[in-house]
Amino acid sequence: MNCAAIKEKLTVIGVEMVSEAEYARKGFALDVQVAPHLLVAAVSVLDAEGFFIEAITGVDWLGEQAALRKEAEAKVAAEAKAQPEAEAAAGEAPPLVSQPAEQGEIPEDALEVVYDFNHYEGLCRVTIRARLPRSKPEIATISSIYPGANWHERETHDFFGIIFVGHPYLVPLLLPEDADFHPLLKDFRS
Amino acid sequence: MGTQNIQPAIVQFAQLDKLLALGRANSLWPMTFGLACCAIEMMATGASRFDLARFGAEVFRPSPRQCDVMIVAGTISKKMAPAVETLYDQMPEPKWVIAMGNCAISGGPFVFEGQYGIVEGADKLFPVDVFIPGCPPRPEALIEGILELEEKVTGSRRWPRVEVG
Amino acid sequence: MSTFAQSQANETFVLNLGPQHPATHGVLRVKLTMDGEYIVEAEPVLGYIHRMHEKMGENRTWAQFLPNTGRIDYLHALAYNHGYVSVVERAASIEVPERAEYLRVITAELNRVSSHLLWFGAFILDLGGFSPLLYAFDDREHILDLLESVTGSRLTYCYFRFGGVYNDIDDNFVTGTRAFIKRLRGRMPMYHNLVTKNIILMKRLQEVGPISAEMCRKYGATGPVCRGSGINFDVRKHEPYSVYPEFDFEVPVYEQGDSMARYMVRMDEMEQSLRIVEQALDKLPEGPVMAEKVPKILKPAKGDYYHAVETARGSFGVRVISDGSNTPYRLKLRSPTFSNLSLFGEACRGMLLPDVLALMGSLDLVIPEIDR
Repeated sequence: MNCAAIKEKLTVIGVEMVSEAEYARKGFALDVQVAPHLLVAAVSVLDAEGFFIEAITGVDWLGEQAALRKEAEAKVAAEAKAQPEAEAAAGEAPPLVSQPAEQGEIPEDALEVVYDFNHYEGLCRVTIRARLPRSKPEIATISSIYPGANWHERETHDFFGIIFVGHPYLVPLLLPEDADFHPLLKDFRS
Repeated sequence: MGTQNIQPAIVQFAQLDKLLALGRANSLWPMTFGLACCAIEMMATGASRFDLARFGAEVFRPSPRQCDVMIVAGTISKKMAPAVETLYDQMPEPKWVIAMGNCAISGGPFVFEGQYGIVEGADKLFPVDVFIPGCPPRPEALIEGILELEEKVTGSRRWPRVEVG
Repeated sequence: MSTFAQSQANETFVLNLGPQHPATHGVLRVKLTMDGEYIVEAEPVLGYIHRMHEKMGENRTWAQFLPNTGRIDYLHALAYNHGYVSVVERAASIEVPERAEYLRVITAELNRVSSHLLWFGAFILDLGGFSPLLYAFDDREHILDLLESVTGSRLTYCYFRFGGVYNDIDDNFVTGTRAFIKRLRGRMPMYHNLVTKNIILMKRLQEVGPISAEMCRKYGATGPVCRGSGINFDVRKHEPYSVYPEFDFEVPVYEQGDSMARYMVRMDEMEQSLRIVEQALDKLPEGPVMAEKVPKILKPAKGDYYHAVETARGSFGVRVISDGSNTPYRLKLRSPTFSNLSLFGEACRGMLLPDVLALMGSLDLVIPEIDR
């Protein structure tokens, strides 16, 4: 079991991006960005390799696109002012969002689902991320591959309202049975 | 139900009531009912070193129907609140409530603007007789709380008060 | 099993266990569908002590969240302290002095022993034996005295700080700890004679609640649960953090996968923790206990960071996402018991009701840590 082989296998199925994160700095070894429809394929690869599921969670990127637009505009303005080195000091912005913003409407913000997998034998923590549109956050369930994902998905549904298509029992887990709010969304107000 | 007024008995037996109060105060039966961190200190109070039996309150009963004091030890979440209320209602009169720890007093460290999950204090649900501050309170504090409750029941204190200093 | 299968046609009924039940160690509720004394289906219902830790993480500064970590799992609070300070130190690139790391290991391991002792007492209590609880609490109080003298509290510690620990230990702590190690080593044979070798306990635990290694993997079980199923996985060895690589200790692994195996793993772990503490006291370096240049207002670099630690219950991971401001953008707590309990529904199918309580106790549940 080594990380490079896993990386290879994930690349083959066509995930958007597999990068080796600096383990000592980040705490995980592989950072995988996957299109929602390829999630199940990617997870199946990990299952076949004997990984266990650590956690599933979400991140709400509300306001990210507007901030990026602002940043890009500022950058353009700065470049126009002074030609030399317009190095963005931000460091590692995800490549997905570093595309130059075109004129027009601000693209929709994303809800990100983050899956953590780890291996009992080798040290290779794999983080899979899938970005979903905020207005229609739907992704296939992986609870048929990992039954343990059942609860993690229910929890993520509680907190973010992400719908796991095909989940056998998507009812609130931590919130009251009749809860209809999603507290970890950035625009949540109680 | 928690707020209803109990009518005093028509015929009063002053001396008998006093005797009953003395009996009740010296053999309080708390409920085995832990919610969170404070429950561990409650267990420690009942266990070997602190030995609540010295004060006659060690008979922890799992059923609310056999208890006369409920120690609310921990955070009451909104999901748990109906269950806690039911437990209180199931206890036979006369009954007392001790709110142990900051969560049971006011929500403690878990109160913040926009909180969605907890009840801010046990007294929002039913009347509370003794509040014990701490996060969690030490076992000595719980013992003091029980002595305080005894005093409330009988009107006089059985044990000398420990002077601070 | 065959009698069980035949009786499927009979009426089943639902038994509600909890949320107020002494054997659920807090406020877990389990909806049991029963066929006579046998379990057809068990569905744990969580959330009765959901305390919004993850939401609070987004509402407070990095340092303000620290006391919360002591309340996620109050039985092994220092490991949760450790996980959180480690991930923030990783994000903000803070170097920790060696002495501070030693103190972290010493206190966290003592805390692990106290957690296991409490589990031991409570577990036997679940099975119907009262007196071991009193012995276990007696020993546990000695640890709490020691920890109180350095950390200032008995249970919900907040001893670790970003960049070190807030208080140095004194000679009394060192002599007290050595005396305690000696004491507990003397008591362990008594525990084994009194409890482990007790025929009633053996009958209650052996071959009860088997969990296979594959099941552990599918549900993500860690800690003594997976080590009781033959998986040699301990974060302290697997992805060594702090100064754990300096110490010589073993990871107890049992193959059977039954409740007895999980019981034995924890009993053996106590001895290993004592070994670590002993070695750490011997090797304890001199020096400061706090890094010098820790900014008052932390603003870790943008990005996504993860750190896992081994708690008494398994692998606890914290993922923080920083947007460069003084509050976390997102804080995810991966609690071990959440995963360990998720296999409960599958594991107890077809079991007898009293055995289910043995299985539940052997998972070592701390409910606020599941609900967070």
